[in-house]
Amino acid sequence: MRFVLRRLGFYLLAFWVSITLNFLLPRFMPGDPVSRMFAQSQSRMTPEQITQLQQLFGLDDRPVWRQYVDYLGNIATGQMGISISHFPTPVTEVIAGQIGWTLLLGGTALLVAVVVGNLLGILAAWRRGGMLDSVFPPVLVFVGSFPYFWLAMGALYFFGVMLGWFPLRHAFTAGSAPQWSGQFVADVGMHLVLPALTIVVVSIGGWMLAMRNTMIATNAEDYIVMAEAKGLRPTRIMFRYAARNAMLPAVTSFGMSLGFVVGGALLTEVVFAYPGVGYQLLAAVQGLDYPLMQGIFLTITAAVLFVNFLVDLVYVRLDPRVRVS
Amino acid sequence: MMTRTTRSRRAARLAGLALAAALALTACGPGASDGGGTVASDVPLTIPREDMGTFVRNFNPFSPNVAPMTQQAVYEPMIIFNPADGSMTPWLASEWTTSKDGKDIVFTLRDGVQWSDGEPLVAQDVVTTFDLQKELLGGYEYLDSVEAKDDRTVVFHLTETYSPALSELGQQIVIPDHVWSDMEDPGKATNEAPVGTGPYTEVTAFASQSFDLGPNPHYWQPDKQQIPGIRMLAFAGNDGANLAAANGEVDWAPQFIPNIEQAFVARDPEHNHYWFPPTGAMISWQLNTTREPYDDVDVRKALSMAIDREQVIDVAMQGYTKPADCTGLSGGYDTWRDEDLAGSCTWTTRDVDAANALLDEAGYARGADGTRTLKDGKPFTLKISVGSTSSDWLSVADIISQNLADVGVKASVDAPDWSAVTASYEDGTFDTGIVWSNNAPTPYQFYRGVMSTQTVKPVGEQTFENYHRFGDEKTDDLLDEFAASSDEAGQHDVVERLQAEFDAQAPVVPLFPSPEWGAYTDARFTGWPTEDNPYATLSTRAPTAVLVLTSLRPVQG
Repeated sequence: MRFVLRRLGFYLLAFWVSITLNFLLPRFMPGDPVSRMFAQSQSRMTPEQITQLQQLFGLDDRPVWRQYVDYLGNIATGQMGISISHFPTPVTEVIAGQIGWTLLLGGTALLVAVVVGNLLGILAAWRRGGMLDSVFPPVLVFVGSFPYFWLAMGALYFFGVMLGWFPLRHAFTAGSAPQWSGQFVADVGMHLVLPALTIVVVSIGGWMLAMRNTMIATNAEDYIVMAEAKGLRPTRIMFRYAARNAMLPAVTSFGMSLGFVVGGALLTEVVFAYPGVGYQLLAAVQGLDYPLMQGIFLTITAAVLFVNFLVDLVYVRLDPRVRVS
Repeated sequence: MMTRTTRSRRAARLAGLALAAALALTACGPGASDGGGTVASDVPLTIPREDMGTFVRNFNPFSPNVAPMTQQAVYEPMIIFNPADGSMTPWLASEWTTSKDGKDIVFTLRDGVQWSDGEPLVAQDVVTTFDLQKELLGGYEYLDSVEAKDDRTVVFHLTETYSPALSELGQQIVIPDHVWSDMEDPGKATNEAPVGTGPYTEVTAFASQSFDLGPNPHYWQPDKQQIPGIRMLAFAGNDGANLAAANGEVDWAPQFIPNIEQAFVARDPEHNHYWFPPTGAMISWQLNTTREPYDDVDVRKALSMAIDREQVIDVAMQGYTKPADCTGLSGGYDTWRDEDLAGSCTWTTRDVDAANALLDEAGYARGADGTRTLKDGKPFTLKISVGSTSSDWLSVADIISQNLADVGVKASVDAPDWSAVTASYEDGTFDTGIVWSNNAPTPYQFYRGVMSTQTVKPVGEQTFENYHRFGDEKTDDLLDEFAASSDEAGQHDVVERLQAEFDAQAPVVPLFPSPEWGAYTDARFTGWPTEDNPYATLSTRAPTAVLVLTSLRPVQG
């Protein structure tokens, strides 16, 4: 219990530091949102409209410390203000509208990559020097080191345009409305395949290699020899004895990655025109949309810290050494 | 410098070839085959929007982030100005007159126009429109009051004679009084089911990445609603939108498509076309005239003469526009241009010898190593600012800096994020930079923005035009004369003298007018504007888009 409380205290401190940075960093950026909008409109807006827009957006010129106090208060009460780049939509609504797709895409891709990558890693280490061990790691690392943008474009051309197997864009077919029907779910599934697959392809190599390396170390442990000497089935030794002990680093990285999923997959969203938080964050940064930027960063920070906290708790369960110390 | 650019050019060409090859390969795939074959009569006109990853259901025309096509298909203005041929089309107003002293403008509304809910269009709608516009977004400082004389007559009382008012007032889109006057907070309303006079007002489907607009049941030109509707698709960047265009899945592609001949036209030469009229804002190289040596007109002209505009257009702009001349006017002002002056320009064509002579004469001597020094003995170097995301303008700046080496001036390109660049423009701390300009129906706003003392703010104070801070009193007088003259011949005379003043002063170094991007396929719909029939531009964000929407008709068969 003391361990949990100590970790909780640490996370609260980390949270405070990150929200303070979150407040300060956008304010170090030069310019203001309205003049950005003006520059981007490139002479479609008249200079007279600018002061008026500043009023409309309610941009404040209060002292920074007052803004900071209000900001903390707003975070405590869950108010994130109104997005400027989506004016007059509240930030919470902008994020809520996107986060579902981001979680669907990122979560699916991460789960597939982790499960398949770890399984491959376990098998490769178990049959060390075998077919799986000598072919897969170099191939996967090679593919994973391609620029993602290029790979995604290539997949889009090959599977989308040439073969026509998968739709080219969006999360579901234009003209249909979201609903709980088998047809719509299948439509969403089809639209998910290419974006998720490209993410899996570039990330799976890392998971496999990490798992393989820890497995190899574990395989040399005395208790594996002991288990073999007892005559246990090889699959039992592989999964219950070796893999189980080699899992710990993978759990940590899984937790970290899970937290970052809410940040969205910017390049995937750009190539496949898939909805999500990543592009909103880019647009917010480019348009100096402070409220939306802060809202998204806050969501990411909170998610990363929360998942890490969960991982810490799971560790207590998984690794007895943590409990003792 | 030279080799780097050549190499990157070659890389770009290779990438273009690879793309073209990929596209050529895909031409035999199943994706392409449904391009021209089946023409369903209920397929809406499909348009991509490349800079919105998702749409928000916001049809409030006063909102800066309004859903696309709101100001084109849902609401309409009283007059439509077309920069492609310089014409004015009466739209919601059938006629207008200006009083003798120019202080009253009377618009007569077209008879029989109805809102999409069946209510008639009345003068009070226009009055409410201007009240809201002034309250929410400002502008129209010259407007004293708006009066609804009777149901069809609106009188605008101006505080002083101001001739650009007619086109500015006329282009304001009109909203219905009976809907907006009861609205609690019109600035923050999202107006999810808009009531407008436009041809396509009914939101028939709305999802985060696409929405459909259906025909207005009470449109005043029912014979011109030939297309079944409009479908907007959201894209988080040009690549996705360009792929959709190349694949024949969208009808109208108003975004920039690099290498368009191979990437788009070659996919279906019979149906895919593009037209980039140079009617956008003039793009200039601005020199901060509060600094030495840019306060010297000879230096500005000499630097301008060093630039190879042909190279700038061919390489950086892929040949999609044309070089500027010494009137500074973009292609949208061809009817105002003084052709004699434009034909005899001295400082907007490359002439290295003349540039060197001018700089020598102005007292910026060239040293033994070929570089020039300023009058205070420091080397003549300059920094060209441009936003890092604008790759085309970045390459414009690169070419300029190479050109300047020929006249002994060392230029470096400074390319941080646009926000840093515009911030330095606004407070006047930049050295030189690539910049846009005001683009309105008459050249008045352009000249006011580049050379009037009224737009000059001291360094350190934020401004949104005349970043280079150049003011000329003769220009002020000419602008006042223009504003006070209500007859067209008089206005043309003043604009000719403004052009001569621009030529004499060279307040900025004009480079090229920005093209109005636009590509389309006539596989499903025909009647598009072209170079031979420039009744509108192909921009989907310009007021002329409604002219295109009411001219298109489905292909028969």
